[in-house]
Amino acid sequence: MSNASVATKSRQASSNASTAEHPLRKRRGVNREGLEAGRRSTRTILWILLAAAMVLYGFPFLYLLFTSFKTPIDTIAVPPTILPREWTLENYTNALGRSGVVASFINSIQTAVISTLLSLVLAVPAAYGITRYKTPSGQVFIMAALVTRMVPPVAIGIPLASMMASVGLSDTPIALSIAHTTISLPLSIWLMCSFFESVPRDLEEAATVDGCSRLGALWRVVIPVVSGGIAVTAIFAFLASWNEFLFALLMTAIRSQTTPVVIANFQTQFGLDWGSMTALAAVYSIPVILLTLLLQRKIVAGMTLGAVKG
Amino acid sequence: MRITDRRFALYLMTPAALFLAVFVAYPLFRLVADSFYKISPIAGGAREFVGFQNYAAAFASEAFMGAGWRTLAYTLVVVTLEFALGLGMALLFTTLGRKSQIWRTVFLYPLMIAPIVAGLLWKFLMIDNFGLIGTILHQAGILSNPNQIGWLSDPNIVLFSVAVPDIWLTTSFMCLVLFAGLQNIPGDLIEAARLDGARSPALLFQIILPLLRPVIAVALVVRGIDAARAFDTILIQTNGGPQSASETMSLLIYRTMIRFGDPGLASAMGTLYLLAMLAVAFVAVSTIWRPGKDN
Repeated sequence: MSNASVATKSRQASSNASTAEHPLRKRRGVNREGLEAGRRSTRTILWILLAAAMVLYGFPFLYLLFTSFKTPIDTIAVPPTILPREWTLENYTNALGRSGVVASFINSIQTAVISTLLSLVLAVPAAYGITRYKTPSGQVFIMAALVTRMVPPVAIGIPLASMMASVGLSDTPIALSIAHTTISLPLSIWLMCSFFESVPRDLEEAATVDGCSRLGALWRVVIPVVSGGIAVTAIFAFLASWNEFLFALLMTAIRSQTTPVVIANFQTQFGLDWGSMTALAAVYSIPVILLTLLLQRKIVAGMTLGAVKG
Repeated sequence: MRITDRRFALYLMTPAALFLAVFVAYPLFRLVADSFYKISPIAGGAREFVGFQNYAAAFASEAFMGAGWRTLAYTLVVVTLEFALGLGMALLFTTLGRKSQIWRTVFLYPLMIAPIVAGLLWKFLMIDNFGLIGTILHQAGILSNPNQIGWLSDPNIVLFSVAVPDIWLTTSFMCLVLFAGLQNIPGDLIEAARLDGARSPALLFQIILPLLRPVIAVALVVRGIDAARAFDTILIQTNGGPQSASETMSLLIYRTMIRFGDPGLASAMGTLYLLAMLAVAFVAVSTIWRPGKDN
């Protein structure tokens, strides 16, 4: 075995150190080559395979981007071209100039921010209560949160909308944020539980001995330790609200419409204006894609935990 | 006076529990209650108690039974394909090791795209006349005419076409979870099997997949629940058409409620849908997944 492969092995082990606990983990360092074996020629083929998969996988969104820079007529040219014949920002000025589009962005941001904050404020203490004290009520509660994940949004959308109407909240970002929180809260609780699980108990015990109250220990000692986990949870709550469509469709009218609803409305209101639709879709997607690439480590950690936990 | 730990834990959980009770449990209660009434769609309109009449109507309706089967078929197609593709990619990434890390990240990008955008994008790719897929297949010589396959207009294949964005969006998720699972398989186990002369397929089916079983179970259950609720991608691509050929349960309930203005019937359908989801999920969770057992 060459030195290079030993080095790869140890880097591999350390790069994996952040993934979830597993009883077999201890043995991981022994031999990674089992799964990574292969002659040079097979590896070349595999790299080609990967490149092909990446092109296929990445192409649809690139095509959307290219289309958004075409002239409106070229957008629906027969046969279609991949690259714009002539690059133009016309679709962007058309889309963003349309009444209600900029307002829908503001609504989307507002709704997602309120929903994220609400989710965190409710999930962080609840998850702490569940993991730190392990009471029977906590176990019941976490199973109830899991069941909530199985409720189809269409089943609660209409009653929820009429509830909001009866308290005078219809067509407000607050009402939609509450609806979005019904989706993100269960996931946030599960995620936060796994983060609290990894905080050593001694930490807050030491703080209590030093004279902190239980709430004080949570606030001053535990919360700072799990702040990374809180950030991950916040990203997921934000994304869930940012991309949500069904509740937004049911619960908003002109005043609080979010961008996904506006994108869908383009189809009917303006008779398939594909150019503007692709431009708006690009504007709506790119900030979150960039944010994700920037924070990818955190996102991957959250995604794996989120999957395992529910 | 100091409060007990148990009570303190309860206080911490109360706000979240109250929230879920008011905004999830109560609407569900309303849904079930509404399902026993004939309700006028006009706000504040008449309500008449009709017992199980809405349920009888649901079971008697071809649309409801059709949507049930389509939802099942759609879920199976989406989950099977994305599992196969996700596993393939996860094995590829694992075999290529650390050097593929950057591509793993890039591979995640569809997860950040709103389903509505994905639906729109694929509709644009598959649409008749100026859709790129037909044109590419035509230029490659596979189709004699770019419109030979009516991806979104042929009732026989539309259920598959509307599944494509969903598969595209979440194969990354499947890949990511399976990849994480693969990282936990000890390499010496694979090495030992290989020394014993196991070939790649045997290695995959007799060693890797059985070891991955818990991870696979979780991924399938989570994705199955999500796929069965599909709404955005289908609505924007076909709105359930042509001739209801892509109308899944969420769409049918939505249309019964909004378009046909029958909240009572829609509630009965919603209740049945919910019960079916809970039953399937309960069986899946208790027999395959067993959360907490491995912690």
